[in-house]
Amino acid sequence: MTNSLSDEDLMSQVRSGVGEMLGVLFERYHVPLFNFYLKLTGDRPVSEDLVQEVFFRILKYRHSYRADTPFRAWMYQIARNARMDWLRKRRPESNWEPDMSPAVAPVDTAQQSQEALLLHSALMRISEDKREVLVLSRFQDLKYEEIAQLLGCEVGTVKTRVHRALQELRQAFHELQSGKPLRGKGQQGAWPTPGSVQ
Amino acid sequence: MKCEEIGELLSDYLQGRLRADQAAEVEKHLTECAGCGEEATLWKKLALLPEEQPSPAMESRFKAMIENYQEGRWEKTNLASEKSKVPVPMLWGLGNWRQLPAAGIVWAVLFLACGYFIGKHADRGSDAAAQAQLNEMRQELGATRQMVALSMLQQQSASQRLEGVSWTTRLPEPDPKVMGALMHTVRFDNSVDVRLAALDALSRYADRPEVRRDLVDVLQTTQSPMVQVALIDLLVDLHDKSAVPQFRKFQQDPNVNPTVKKRVDWGIQQLN
Repeated sequence: MTNSLSDEDLMSQVRSGVGEMLGVLFERYHVPLFNFYLKLTGDRPVSEDLVQEVFFRILKYRHSYRADTPFRAWMYQIARNARMDWLRKRRPESNWEPDMSPAVAPVDTAQQSQEALLLHSALMRISEDKREVLVLSRFQDLKYEEIAQLLGCEVGTVKTRVHRALQELRQAFHELQSGKPLRGKGQQGAWPTPGSVQ
Repeated sequence: MKCEEIGELLSDYLQGRLRADQAAEVEKHLTECAGCGEEATLWKKLALLPEEQPSPAMESRFKAMIENYQEGRWEKTNLASEKSKVPVPMLWGLGNWRQLPAAGIVWAVLFLACGYFIGKHADRGSDAAAQAQLNEMRQELGATRQMVALSMLQQQSASQRLEGVSWTTRLPEPDPKVMGALMHTVRFDNSVDVRLAALDALSRYADRPEVRRDLVDVLQTTQSPMVQVALIDLLVDLHDKSAVPQFRKFQQDPNVNPTVKKRVDWGIQQLN
């Protein structure tokens, strides 16, 4: 029954105190949100913490949700803010380096795996604002209008940024193919990734 | 059409939002211009990056949060989290440093500074006295690191626990309390990443018989294939034959993950 309700109806119920409805929204969005953070940070534990923080904030700020607002846009706004706060709070003395190795599905052919690895590394090399717009439009299936609203800019700016992001991605991809070293340290994970043993 | 003109159109094309005639125009350009063509191909190839699944711990944490909310503990939790967000004065932070790992580092720096001055003054005294003071300082520094590591291993956030694990590797001497905490993490931590990191840190103490015994014991109880494989590798590296009976149990257990079984077959060959 609850599964047929729209996100907005569910959130309105959460707002009026029916906390368990947030469970349905969690089911719908925790994996996309996790992937959003994972593609931006390259760090699984941090991404899990941030997803938890988003649902915590949804519950905390439930009264500020307006029924006429698309839930997804509101949620991604919270997700962006949570990430900004995390970036600010990240202690400068911390020398923790994220595990950026991607999990490549075991069914992939060797060539596809190699390409996915390169693509993942290339994605991690492009500037953050471009990566964000690429992740939002390609993986989160957000329309340019939604992204523009989220970032507080014109739709045209988003489209241009997507194009520039692809240009940067192409350049990074070429650099990696020609064997230039990665910018950061520790980008090849020290530990196996869960996807590799399944 | 030129590359400069294609910018926004290409973005719309990629999301399938162009009229047929516009799309045809873009496609024509893509066949003529290698750069733009490659960008469109990369966009498609991004589909190669798989959708990742978070660890099951995330769902448990969410459920715990909802339970708190429904049992009315929410407002309290809420207030507590608000309170913890109020910026604390530096000295107050030091008084409560177990909750603030960063303050632990401040402590470590203070100890170092004290050591420097003591060392300087000790130059005037005998060498033996200076050495004794230096040793004392080292011990205190070690104790501070140990406290930081132990307190970080108990943090809520997985990334902070990972930092805790990395702190343990900076301790000069193996310590029973730290080994106990790491073993507890390997057994019970919600995050498989943290468990694997703890196992890696523990491998430094694997020459001790009690640690090995515990490792074999963990192998019997852990359900995670990732941890099982890491443990098998470690025990094989250590040439620990006491693991063989457990390896054989895995071979016969139908519920054991096939990758783990393969690893076990390999492990038995290595150990025999």
